[in-house]
Amino acid sequence: MAEKSAVLLCTCGGQLNLDYEALVDRLGEMELAGHVEVHDLVCQPDGLDVVKRLLAEHGRLVIAACTSQKLKPRVDMALQHDGVTAPLITYVNIREQLAWVHKPSPEATEKALDTVHGAISLSALAEPPSVVCKDLPRHVTIIGAGIAGLECAVNLSRLGYSVALLERSDEVGGHLRRLPVIAPTGRSGPEVLGPRIDAVMSSDRIDVMLGVDVKFVEGEVGSFKVHYTADGSQEDGVIETSAVVLAMGFKEFKPTMMDEYGYGRNPDVITQYELSTMLSEGRLERPSDGGSVKEVVMVQCVGSRSEQFKRDCSKLCCTFAIDNALELLERDPAIRVHIVYMDIRVPFENEAVYRESREKGVDYIRGRVCSVWQSGNNTYLRLYDSLMDQYFQLSPDLVVLSSALLPPDGVEELAETLGYAVEYDGHVKELYGKLRRVETRRRGVFAIGAVTGPQFVSEAITDAQAAALLVHAELQGGRIETVPRGAVLDLDSCVGCSLCAQHCPRGVPLMIEQDGGADETEKIQFKAAIDILNCHACGVCQSLCPSGATELNFLTNEQLWAQTKGALSHAGRDRPVTLCFYCEECAASTIDIAGTLHMEYPASTRLIPVPCAGRVSAIDILRAFEYGAATVMIASCEKNRCHMGGTGNEIAQAQVDVTKEILSAIGWDSRRVEMYRMFSAEPERFRSAIAEMVERAHDLGPTPVHLGTAGQWKEVVS
Amino acid sequence: MVGPVLIVGAGVAGMTAAVELADAGVHTVLVERLSTVGGNALRLYKAFPTDDCFFCFEGNRWRPGIRKCFYRSALTDQPNIDLRVNTTVVDISGTPGSFTVRLRTEPTYVDPKKCILCGLCTTRSEAFKLSSPQCQPQTVSVDPTLLDDEARRVASECPTHAIDLDATPSEDTLVVSDIVIATGYHEFKPQGVQEYGYGEHPNIITQLELAEMLDPTGPSGGVLLRPSDGAPVERVMMVQCVGSRSVDHFPFCSKICCVFALKHANIIAQEHNGIRVDVVYMDIRTYDRHERYYRMARRAGVGFIRGRVSRVVPRDDGRLDVVIYDSLLDQYLQYEVDLFVLSSALEPSEGTAALISQLGLQDRSGFVAPVEDGSVDGVMAGDHVFVCGTALGPAEVPESVTQARAVVSRILQGGV
Repeated sequence: MAEKSAVLLCTCGGQLNLDYEALVDRLGEMELAGHVEVHDLVCQPDGLDVVKRLLAEHGRLVIAACTSQKLKPRVDMALQHDGVTAPLITYVNIREQLAWVHKPSPEATEKALDTVHGAISLSALAEPPSVVCKDLPRHVTIIGAGIAGLECAVNLSRLGYSVALLERSDEVGGHLRRLPVIAPTGRSGPEVLGPRIDAVMSSDRIDVMLGVDVKFVEGEVGSFKVHYTADGSQEDGVIETSAVVLAMGFKEFKPTMMDEYGYGRNPDVITQYELSTMLSEGRLERPSDGGSVKEVVMVQCVGSRSEQFKRDCSKLCCTFAIDNALELLERDPAIRVHIVYMDIRVPFENEAVYRESREKGVDYIRGRVCSVWQSGNNTYLRLYDSLMDQYFQLSPDLVVLSSALLPPDGVEELAETLGYAVEYDGHVKELYGKLRRVETRRRGVFAIGAVTGPQFVSEAITDAQAAALLVHAELQGGRIETVPRGAVLDLDSCVGCSLCAQHCPRGVPLMIEQDGGADETEKIQFKAAIDILNCHACGVCQSLCPSGATELNFLTNEQLWAQTKGALSHAGRDRPVTLCFYCEECAASTIDIAGTLHMEYPASTRLIPVPCAGRVSAIDILRAFEYGAATVMIASCEKNRCHMGGTGNEIAQAQVDVTKEILSAIGWDSRRVEMYRMFSAEPERFRSAIAEMVERAHDLGPTPVHLGTAGQWKEVVS
Repeated sequence: MVGPVLIVGAGVAGMTAAVELADAGVHTVLVERLSTVGGNALRLYKAFPTDDCFFCFEGNRWRPGIRKCFYRSALTDQPNIDLRVNTTVVDISGTPGSFTVRLRTEPTYVDPKKCILCGLCTTRSEAFKLSSPQCQPQTVSVDPTLLDDEARRVASECPTHAIDLDATPSEDTLVVSDIVIATGYHEFKPQGVQEYGYGEHPNIITQLELAEMLDPTGPSGGVLLRPSDGAPVERVMMVQCVGSRSVDHFPFCSKICCVFALKHANIIAQEHNGIRVDVVYMDIRTYDRHERYYRMARRAGVGFIRGRVSRVVPRDDGRLDVVIYDSLLDQYLQYEVDLFVLSSALEPSEGTAALISQLGLQDRSGFVAPVEDGSVDGVMAGDHVFVCGTALGPAEVPESVTQARAVVSRILQGGV
């Protein structure tokens, strides 16, 4: 059912150089425009009153004004004040995308008309909103009871959540239990753990489970089922929980395969954490013969900063080594400690501890160890000093390897059912490195502490506290009540292909086994299920769905096609038009900033927003050609920077590639479609991209299939 | 009862804390000394660790999505956030849980809720300009020194009557339950540090100044030109640890400068054809996955010289002679460079010291220290007083964000 919308045009204080008279006249002739009105200042109180009035009178409204990024929050807030949520308003940008980038011309007026035409066509098909409620158990499961897990459990319990704290070993505390001192605080691991363990043990909201191995997890945020096995028990246990926090810590690299050090063969060659353990247990002796320790060589970057084992720096090892060196000197000031290093890396005030160690006589040798060998009861070590450009030989009692910090076991396996992404180095990948550190790709799954990468104790604690807030925000205190915006699945149309479940950037669709009933041979065994409350509304599932079963409830296929058709009304034989689908994240920003900077580009362009570039399917692009576009461009976020879990724009790229192949196969020039990536700090990227596509439109001429342009195309099948 | 909460400083940390608190239904007063939010981040165009722009800011329940540009963060149009720019804290009294705070606001002359950026004033008078397309609040700024008759005429024609050139400073007193210190950092200006000659020659600049030069929307369109004469830059030298790790200035390591410098070195080596970059360093500190920047720099042909600069001498042709002691070669080397870039220390921001003394907090190398109660709790500075971001010490953007969230978490737990 196509409904009429009111159209409200803003003049931005009379400053937009557009032909409003012509716009009002010609928009008034459009069938779907129920009413057309011009206001000078829609964003100001008077204008907002007009918005409210038009919405009340006409039910649906198209506002053509400045960027919706700025206007929409203000309109939403004004309406919310009156109790109106999720109004049927469609925004059209006639400022940053029009008046500020095009000179006044009949072409610019046509672009304005077409863009509004597209918007009213979309608005005509919009579904009225409805509220959905969902209750979520206030229960969270934390995997790993090291410092991060303990801290997170305490914080969550204080926010009113029940917590299952699962630990694989038989005691809580993780690596910190064996750290004699932690720079720059000067406190020992057990001192830092103490108050937290007490708080966990005395809380009746926290259930500590030791000797527990998590096998797999089913379900989704609000209704996860964590399957585990416990020591000494034959049966698997299941925990029903609303969110999962990964806090499995790290694993110290055991360099047995590095022949030069002799680790694993020579008992006097140990790792830094093994030394920590010795020191925290009050032992200090040569493991080989129990002899006293008078000389120690510590070797930095064992396995780290190496193409063979771990490419990156393990961040903590320099501080670890210095902590232990000082602790050695504390026990016996006569011990000679040498640290062989490439770069000493100690952030902020840890530098003071480094300076202290130099003052106390720790000998720093910049270079590399060539080999370690045993002769008689003694260990020998040969090294190259890059500052002196010389080789030296030492005979230490202990060789301590500052070994790389690796991800713990089980990260990959758990990812299979928990659906989070894994970094190239095997740690849990954060949702977005700059701003969304403790969240993962999978909604309701969080990762804190060293499981995300080497972290100092204070960082792991901060992570844990932050994660408690994010869990709290995600579960909204246990009850979600909202007008959902996202994907809706029509179960009858689902063919069970599972493309949506495989490619959803946030892992929302689940494949559910279907009950019997129909004839077994025809039955689809699994069908998708999408909880719209978990959906991030990118539309990737929609663009991939072969049967049109999933659709965004605010941008159905019919809606986008209607909008595309409307926006191309003036495209024709002598008017090659470039259509740009742009994502409402980085691309929208880049286009807005280009507008704010008044970067001019041709008016033979039509811009249509989509939540994520991944929403645009090959069909959508082909439709655009059918409706008259000469060229089509997709504007998206940068590679790996997609706002939708990082992968939405990769789906878009695939759609563009497929479209190019289709075009080639039918004898068209595949340059008619292209994908461009951009971000707002470089607005020139958009300007040059659209200029390129406009040029191609002129070169290639109108589309071969549009009603008015058939026969005008230039491609020649060779 | 939690709230209202006072947040001092609207950089990455302060903005994050404000939005998270607001989302949780807590009223916040976000105070910023300058006329635009974003802090130092607004001056950088590419950020590590993601190498996209620095104008990113987290989304929230009102603005769904993972992140948004500053310009679309709608800070002036959010429930529960009372943003006050050009505002400083005069004094704080009262008790934890019920602080009385006196604020002073200098006039901005333009009402951010009324300014629509229509362009009327900015096209007609130099006194009005848009400081950055990403500024937040999105409003025109006024340079009072350029106000003339035309400017006043233009102001009176503003379609929304947003401009009031007769505005005067004002004071306000609030009662707040908690205080969040997010006053950030300031890049140390090494004037008077003799060997570097900063301030004595225009071609000697800091990394933040270089970031502005590299910005494609900046004055030179991202082309590297010598500030002295506009000649194209052929050779850049960067020097690490300027003021940092120094007993004379700041004993600490500023932590982010190595990555910051290498990020710029890589941009120059990869995107600016033919410009040679060398980095003079003591230790390259690229922690964890930041090691990638070091690998990239080595691959891109950036030169690394382990040692210290002993002097910089300007030449007649606009270049600089730099003499360096190379500790690996045990030799003095001389280079001719066009641009000499100092990776300068991060120092506590203006006003941090005053807050520390007003609230009776501990300091840590001039930054706000977390409370020393044995819990190694990074973000508590005192009873109902929290600290996040670089006010706590040098921090990367993701750390600042995480700390801000930790603060909000603790406030919602009742400030314990």
